[in-house]
Amino acid sequence: MSQYFVLPSSWRGWLVLAGFVAVIVAGIWPVIGLVNRPVLVMGLPAVAVWSYLIIFACCGVMALGNLLVAEEDGDDD
Amino acid sequence: MMTSVLPLIITLGYVAVAMVIGLRARGGRSMSSLEEWGVAGRSMGPVTLYLLIAAGSVSAYTFMGAPGWAYAKGIPVFYVAIYLAYLALVAWYFGPKVWAFGERFGHVTQASAIADRYQSPMLGALAALVMSVGSVAYAVLQTIGSAYILFVMSGGQIPIWAGVVLVLSCIAVYLYVSGQRAIGRTNAFQGVLMLIVAWSIGLWATHSASGSWNFGTVFARLQREHPEFLTLPGAGGDMSFAFWTTSILVSMVSFMPPVWTQWMSAASARTIRRSATWLPTYYLVILPMVVVGFIGIFTLPELARADTVALEYAMQHLPALLVGLLGAGTLAASMSSCEPFLHSVALTCSRDVLQPALKLSDRQAGRLARWLLFPLMALVIAPLAIAEPGNLVMILLIGLGFASQVLPAFVGMFLWPRANRAGVAAGILAGFVITVAFTTLWPHPLGIHAGFWGLLVNLPLFVLVSRVTAPTDEAVVERFFRIAAPWRYRSLARRTPSLMSAAAGAAPVSARREET
Repeated sequence: MSQYFVLPSSWRGWLVLAGFVAVIVAGIWPVIGLVNRPVLVMGLPAVAVWSYLIIFACCGVMALGNLLVAEEDGDDD
Repeated sequence: MMTSVLPLIITLGYVAVAMVIGLRARGGRSMSSLEEWGVAGRSMGPVTLYLLIAAGSVSAYTFMGAPGWAYAKGIPVFYVAIYLAYLALVAWYFGPKVWAFGERFGHVTQASAIADRYQSPMLGALAALVMSVGSVAYAVLQTIGSAYILFVMSGGQIPIWAGVVLVLSCIAVYLYVSGQRAIGRTNAFQGVLMLIVAWSIGLWATHSASGSWNFGTVFARLQREHPEFLTLPGAGGDMSFAFWTTSILVSMVSFMPPVWTQWMSAASARTIRRSATWLPTYYLVILPMVVVGFIGIFTLPELARADTVALEYAMQHLPALLVGLLGAGTLAASMSSCEPFLHSVALTCSRDVLQPALKLSDRQAGRLARWLLFPLMALVIAPLAIAEPGNLVMILLIGLGFASQVLPAFVGMFLWPRANRAGVAAGILAGFVITVAFTTLWPHPLGIHAGFWGLLVNLPLFVLVSRVTAPTDEAVVERFFRIAAPWRYRSLARRTPSLMSAAAGAAPVSARREET
């Protein structure tokens, strides 16, 4: 057994990992600083809209993961 | 003070319905095994699991704390929605692996998985005990919230002590009878109820305050009159970018024991993935309640306690029917968060502390876990909820601080085979000391969350000590990583088929205990 950290073994795995990292980075500094303005978007505060975009992006990334890596990850075991 | 009895009738009606659902959840099954009482025989489907996890994570905070944060601070309240969505990512990745550990090795608690991976019942018992401290404090706070709702809805006729006894008695009876199945069914009911109540209250409050059903009218006025509520660090000035970021990250990596139990209750690994994928959508429930908090900025400017803003606004401006629904929704939120923690404490104390100490069989441990509910509620939760000790929040923070510092144990279970008992113990201990010190003595230095400081010390120490001390038994590590990273073994098998077939023959089949 390799003693190194577990990493994806295929381009599909790396793509899903990149998606996870992207949505997490989107919710924290410095990205959150870019949307931190007292403006309204579709009637809601920009930070609130951004928060809900992140929420739906999380669903999207996980749905992508279901398509690409669920089997590789041993889901059907 | 309210004059109508309708809100109280609706709130008590909710309690009665929850009780019936909880009792019927058993469905004639025997609850004498830990597997059945503890994790519902690993049987829950995707919809039940979705509502179980969602309702369990949406506590009274959504109906009281979140509007209170919006009222006092403004937009910083949305950090909760973001970290809850990230917890779904955590569930998506780790949940199926935890389920497989439980299914193959017979784990029913988080601490038993820790004890197995690190071959240390002592480490498992320690994790069980300290996690239980935080869980008890959390359950007490939710019980206080439940009793407070009954107090308000009854116009003061149901005193806090009576509310505590009523709520705990209901939970104790249906948890004893139906175990995790009761939590699944009642949380499903509570989850749907909370969603309906939150949107009804939010829309009606917006209409009563602005004459429009559109939340935008509230925010347009806020932008004109109080723009400081629309950006970080918020009107309170205390949610800096650093605190926002580190709070989200620390909350995301805090694996609380009830969540672990919920994952193990799924019918399959795929069920967890399907539920987790859509789990973030549930957190739309937070938005309408937050809007009520923003409305309070204009309509209730002199409020003494920010977390009562939704209740106060409802009682002053909404019809009795909606006040009753808010009472039922808030009570549902409190109870749905309280019961998994109570169940988890009884389960882990029996399985991970008393079973190894008293050499009990699985069947005896299962019976003990059920009976432990009663002393736990009567001797610990109820007295604390009635007395409301001033340091309860501090106990909770310390418990949650520990939860965030158990991260190395999970890194070693899912991501790094070289992790060992000494490294995990050193990391947790150092991280816990730092977190407690930076929570109590010098709160959040430089505006960075105490738990994050703890992890900055914890993780490097964990890696260092693991590397310079003896690794865990290869067979145990392989048993875990065949589940945590199966592709490593597949690629290895392709390269060295003869070696792998020999290794597979030597590997332990299962550590599942035989029931006596």
